[in-house]
Parts: sequence; structure tokens; C-alpha cells
Amino acid sequence: MSNLELYNKAFVDGLGVEEKELPGLEYQAIPSWDSVGHMNLVAALEDAFDIMMDTDDIIDFSSYEKGKEIMAKYDITI
Amino acid sequence: MRIKDKIEFLCGADEGYIGKMNCWQAVAPFSEQYCDFLAAVSEEIMNDLEAREFPDVVTFGFFCRRANLQRMKKEYEERTVVRQVSPVSPGGPYRLGRGVTFHIAPSNVPINFAYSMAAALLAGNCCIVRASSKPFRQVDIVCRCMAAVMDRKEFVWASLVVSIVRYGHDKEVTDYLSSLCDVRVIWGGDNTIAEIRKSPLPPRSTEITFADRYSMAVISSAAILREDNMERLARDFYNDTYLYDQNACSSPRLIYWLGNREDTEAAKEKFWGAVHEFVKGRYELAPVVAVEKYMTACRAALDIVSFRPRVVLGEDNLIGRIEAGCLKMSIIDYRCPGGSFFEYSSEKIDDLQHIARSRTVQTVAYYGDLKDMIREFSIKCGFFGVDRIVPIGKTADFSLVWDGHDLILDMSRIVGY
Repeated sequence: MSNLELYNKAFVDGLGVEEKELPGLEYQAIPSWDSVGHMNLVAALEDAFDIMMDTDDIIDFSSYEKGKEIMAKYDITI
Repeated sequence: MRIKDKIEFLCGADEGYIGKMNCWQAVAPFSEQYCDFLAAVSEEIMNDLEAREFPDVVTFGFFCRRANLQRMKKEYEERTVVRQVSPVSPGGPYRLGRGVTFHIAPSNVPINFAYSMAAALLAGNCCIVRASSKPFRQVDIVCRCMAAVMDRKEFVWASLVVSIVRYGHDKEVTDYLSSLCDVRVIWGGDNTIAEIRKSPLPPRSTEITFADRYSMAVISSAAILREDNMERLARDFYNDTYLYDQNACSSPRLIYWLGNREDTEAAKEKFWGAVHEFVKGRYELAPVVAVEKYMTACRAALDIVSFRPRVVLGEDNLIGRIEAGCLKMSIIDYRCPGGSFFEYSSEKIDDLQHIARSRTVQTVAYYGDLKDMIREFSIKCGFFGVDRIVPIGKTADFSLVWDGHDLILDMSRIVGY
């Protein structure tokens, strides 16, 4: 799978959303992306890319797009 | 009635096996086998639908996820290098778990037992954990998820290494479980510790106790005036205090303002304004707590000889502020839930010594670039108190270094020196 596919799959699995909903999606914008869903999402991303995210990055991960920028810090281009 | 009949075995080793834990073996801290087990428990919890209803359960699952285990292992290795005790040498581990640990979790924090267990496993021990004697769904969910992992072929061993139990206040049972352990871990308060200590420990066993503590915050007035995002700070402060009704040992009760008079006056207004905005609509002040806040204020006002207080109660009584003219250790005796704060202002940190000498002082939360300064001052003065210096918003975050104890080092021993 490409990085984009892995990235999207983490959202789909972690938050239970459909892929077409992803562009523009923001934290707290849908019921499943609450603080609990956020932890699921982070765990799914860490597993998918085999990375350890810093606490600050976990907090700053506020949207689907912002997340792509954060992934770049871990040398993952999406 | 037999002792074992008084124990409810919730998960892992049951009455047939609990006494045989001594036949098992200790392992090195952060062993791959034990980390794999905790990571599997994490996955099970994160995928559990019922767990989703309980943020504290999911937070525990998040804590045990593989990436965080790896991070904690790395941090542990860095810490121990500083202490010049090599965690792992080419010839094998220098440290091993101490054997069997016995944990008495507090009755009021449902998920605490799970963190205590995880720390003991990461240190390389078998563990017996007494969960809160009150029934909590959180306990049942974690036990169900752990049992599901233990059912897998590769993790069957874990059901001999962990035993989660529940029993009422019963000295005979505590005597028995204490007789099995190499380390006893008691999550307070003081009365529980006194009660459990009536049960003797084997000669070589050690004990870690988490007693009732007092915590405070130091805030840089200048940093508040520079802050653009007051909502975030207010949320962090709320999570430290109102979220647990200020009952956690790590909840700040005293705010020490650091700055010149003019800055501090402006900073107080900005800070409390933002806190009030955040608390309003989120926190419901129970009548009994409201009365207690009022009584605390009155008591403080009457005690004018001690610390020259000035009481500020807002119209809705959501935030109770008592400004102290001077700092004295007796301020620690004023503990009140539900948003009751003492305040003290100074241009220097020096007056911290009037209360930090008390061994009761646990956490100093800070806002502004103050961590190194507070730490250096505390060490220079040799305080008996002040174990944790963490940013506002992080006072309740569980960490393997807690209350001045490195849980991994305190639950393991050195081999070969």
C-alpha cells in the first residue's frame, strides 16, 4: 500500500469513517473523532508507519491535512 | 471460611496458582515477552466497543501501546545511564524484577490498578493486584480484555504471572497476600497505608507507599500576559483541578504568582477570567462542596494571625480565592475540593521554602519557563517535599517516575555488582 493508502486506512479504522469524508476532516467535527477516537487514530498511525509520535505532535494533530504535515516530520511523505 | 474463599479472582492466576507464583521467574525490565503482552492488551482495549464509553480505560490502552512502551524503555535506559547502572550489558541483564509484587489500588480511582500492574510487569515481576473493592465497570472491561489475550496460545503464560483480585477490608487476606510478595505497593491515603501496614512483610520485602500529598502551581505573571491562547491554558488548569474535583493529590491548591506587582495584578485578572469562562457550564458545584468552600474561606479569614488572608469569592462561587499575605506551612492544612485556591504573590521564588520543606508537598505545576529554576532551587534548599515539577495540564499524567519513585528501579534489583 502507498503511504496515502496507509494514512487513510488509519483514519477509516481508527475513527470508523469513510474514505470520501476525509478531506477537510477536523478534530471534534464528527462524534467519532473525540478524545477517545483521537487515541485510536494515533495508535493506528503509529502501527501503520512503525513510528513513535511525540506528545506535542499528538496534541497538534488537529485535522486530516495537518496530520500530513506532522507525518512529514517522521520522514513519511503522503 | 478458607482465606482463598474470601478472594474474588477476576483475571489471571486463580486460587490454584496464586500461591505458586514464587515458582515462576523474574525477568529483566522491559523484557520483550512482557512488552508483547501489554501491547496485545492495548490492542484488545483499543478495539473494544464497551471500552470506548470509558475515556480512562482507553487512556490506559493508549498508555500500553507498543510505541509508548518503546518510548518508556528508551527513557528508562537514558535515566539509568545517568545513574551509572547499566540496564543491559552484552553479557545479559544487570537488573531483574524483584519477584512477586502485591498492589493495593485506591478505592476511588477505578483504572489505577491497571497502571500499577503495568509498571510491575515492565519492571519484570509477577504481580497480584487488588482492584478497588467497589465494583467498577472499568475494572471488568480491562480484566475481560486481558483474559481474552491470555486465552491466546502465545500468552497463556501471562495467566500465571498476573492475578487481579478483589476482596473487602480483610486483614487475614492482606496478611496472606503480603506473605507472598517481595514488593508491596500501597496507593493511599494515609489511613489505608496504616491499615495495610498491620500485615507484616517477609524480611527481604520492600514497600512503596503513595500517601496523601499537597500540590501547588507556580505561574509566571509575565508569561500569562504574553499568552495568546488562554483557552488552552484554562483547559489544562481545569483538567488538573476541577476535573477531579480537586481531590487528586497532584491537584494544585496554592497558586504562587511570580512577577512584579503590576504584572501579577493584570495576570491574575486575565488568568481567572479565562478559567471562569471555561469552568462555567462545565462544572457543577454540588451544594455540599459550596458550603465547604465557604467554610474554608471563613476558617482562613479567622486565622488572620497566621497568614493575613484576603478572601475573594466570585458571584457564582465557582472559583474561591484566598490571597495569603505571607506563606506558612500551616496553609497545607486547608484542603477543600471544588475550586478553592490559596494565592501568594512575590517577585522571587524564595518564599517557596516556607512550605516546600514539608514532606507533604508533592507536585509543583508551572506555567512559564520555570522548570529548571524550581528544580535547582528545590535541590539547593534540600527540601523534604517537591517530587514532581510538571507543566500545568500534566499533573495527573501517569508516568513510571511517580512521587519521587522510579517504579522500574524500585521494583527491580541489581544482579552482579
